Amino acid sequence: MSDKNRTMSARKKELPLQDDSSNLFLQVMISIAVFLFGVTLAGVLSINSMLATWNNSILGSLTVQVMPANDVNEKNAQAQTNEQLNKAVELLKNKPEVDKVTPLSDEQLQKLIQPWLGDGVDIKDLPMPRLIDVKLKKGADVDFMQWAEELAQAAPLASLDNHKLWLNKLIKFADGLKILALTILVLVVLITSGAIFYCTQTSLGLHKYIIEILHLMGAKDTYVAQQYAKRTAWLGFLGGVFGLLLAIPTIFIIANLAKQIEGGIISEARLSLADWSVILSLPLFSMVIAMGTAYYTVKKTLEKFM
Amino acid sequence: MTNSNYPDSIIEMQNVGIRYGQGAEVLSDIKLSLKRGSFHFLTGKSGAGKTSLLSMMYLAQKPSRGTVSVFGKNVNFTNRDALAMLRRKIGVVFQDFRLLDHLSAFDNVALPLRVCGMDEREVKKRVTELLQWVELEKHIKAPTSTLSGGEKQRVAIARAVINRPELLLADEPTGNVDNDIASKLMKLFVELNKLGTTVVIATHSDKLITDFAYPRLHLQNKTLRIYRPIDMINSGGLNVR
Repeated sequence: MSDKNRTMSARKKELPLQDDSSNLFLQVMISIAVFLFGVTLAGVLSINSMLATWNNSILGSLTVQVMPANDVNEKNAQAQTNEQLNKAVELLKNKPEVDKVTPLSDEQLQKLIQPWLGDGVDIKDLPMPRLIDVKLKKGADVDFMQWAEELAQAAPLASLDNHKLWLNKLIKFADGLKILALTILVLVVLITSGAIFYCTQTSLGLHKYIIEILHLMGAKDTYVAQQYAKRTAWLGFLGGVFGLLLAIPTIFIIANLAKQIEGGIISEARLSLADWSVILSLPLFSMVIAMGTAYYTVKKTLEKFM
Repeated sequence: MTNSNYPDSIIEMQNVGIRYGQGAEVLSDIKLSLKRGSFHFLTGKSGAGKTSLLSMMYLAQKPSRGTVSVFGKNVNFTNRDALAMLRRKIGVVFQDFRLLDHLSAFDNVALPLRVCGMDEREVKKRVTELLQWVELEKHIKAPTSTLSGGEKQRVAIARAVINRPELLLADEPTGNVDNDIASKLMKLFVELNKLGTTVVIATHSDKLITDFAYPRLHLQNKTLRIYRPIDMINSGGLNVR
C-alpha cells in the first residue's frame, strides 16, 4: 500500500462514518430519488423528442383535404371528387417549394381511421374526404394564404391544412407536461439534498467528540468536510447505481406500453443515444450532489464550533 | 523550534473574564504574559478554573470579555483556518486524556502529524520511536480502550509532544502514573522546555512543585497570582510578585 493510501485509510478510521446508522437510509433514499429522477427525466427527454418531431412535421409538410362531391349518382360523385383531387395534385406539383405530392390510397385511409372505427368498416361505404400528403422542400417559405386561394379556385372542394392549429394545442399540452416533470425533478433534488443535509448534521452531532479532538490537534474544517464528502459521495454513487438499475427496466416497460398505442402520437417519443447517456450518468450526478451537500453542511455546521 | 517572528510573549491575557451561559464569572480580570521558553505550574483548588484557563490557552474557548493573544494573534479576530494553524503549535495533555478509543495507541499518537499532512513513513518513524520511549511499544496496535489509566496517560502525553509543540499545556499529566514514570515524563517536559518549548503544567502535586523550581500560576478567588521560586525561598512561604 502506498503512503498516500495508508494516510487515507488511517483518516477513514478517525471518523468511523462507515458505521453511521443513517448510511442505509441515505442509500435507499438516494436510490429512490435516482429511480424517480431517471424515469421522469426519460419522460422529459421523450417529450422533447416528440416536440421536435411534431415541429419538423409542421415545418416540412401539409395536408390537402378534398371533400366528397355531393351528387345523388354515386359514380358521378366519385368522378367529380377524383377530378378535384387531380386538379389539386396538379396545382401543388407545379409549386417550386413542393418536394413530393402523394394522394393517400384507400388502404392508407382505411389504416388511418382504424384506431377509431375498427377493422370491419369499408371506407367506400362512408362519405370520406380524400387526402393529399404534401412534403415541402427544406427551408421552403410558403405563403399558405396565397396557396389556399389558388387551391379554392382550381378545386373548390379542396382545402389546405398546415396542421398548425391542432399541433399547437398538442405542443402546449406537451409543454405543460414538461414543466410538471421538471418541477418533479427539482423537488426530487431538493428533497434528497435535504435528507443528506439532516443525516450529515445528525452524524456531526454523533461524532462531535472526535471532531473536537481533531480540531484541537489542528485539523481545519476542510479536513473533516473532506472525510464526510468522500463517504457521502460513495453512498450517493452506490444509491445512484441501484436507482438506475431499477429505472432502466421501468423505462423500457413504459416505452413498450407506449409503442403498443399504434398510430398514436405517443409512439413519436423516442430516446436518442445522447438521451441515454444523460440517464446513464445519473449515478455520477447523484454522487456530485451528495458530495457537495455533505461538504457544504459540514463547513456550515462547523462554523458554529470554536 | 523557536521563531523570531513571534513576539516575546507566547500568551497574553488582558482583563480576561470567562463565564458559562448566564452564570457568574468563573475567572475574572485575568492578566497574564507567558514568555517564550518559560516553564510554569498552574495550581489552585478543584473548581478554581484551571481547566477553563487552560482551554483558553489551547484555543478551545474564547473569553467572555477581555483579550487573549496566542503567538501574537488576538483569538477574537483570528479566522478558523488560522486558529487551526495556531493549534498545530500547541500540545495538550488533557486530564481525561481525550483519546479516540476506537483507534490504536499508534493511530492516536499519529493524529497531530496526519492532520498536518505529514508523510506516512515519517509518521511511522516518529510515532514508533516515541511509543518506545514511553514504554508502550508492546501496545502499539492495541485499541486505547484496552489500556490501563497510566498507559492511556502516556499515550496522551506522547500525542501532545509528537509534533514538537512550541507550547505544551498539561492538565495533571502525572496523576495516574507511578513515581518512576512520573519522573521520566517530567524529565521529558524539562528537556522539551530546554529546546524552547513553553510549558504550563496544571497540578495538585506539592512534590512536583517543590522538586522542580519553576514559577507558579495560582488561581484563587477567580483571579490569578504568580509566585516565583525565589519568593518562596526568601520568605519560606509564598510571596506575591
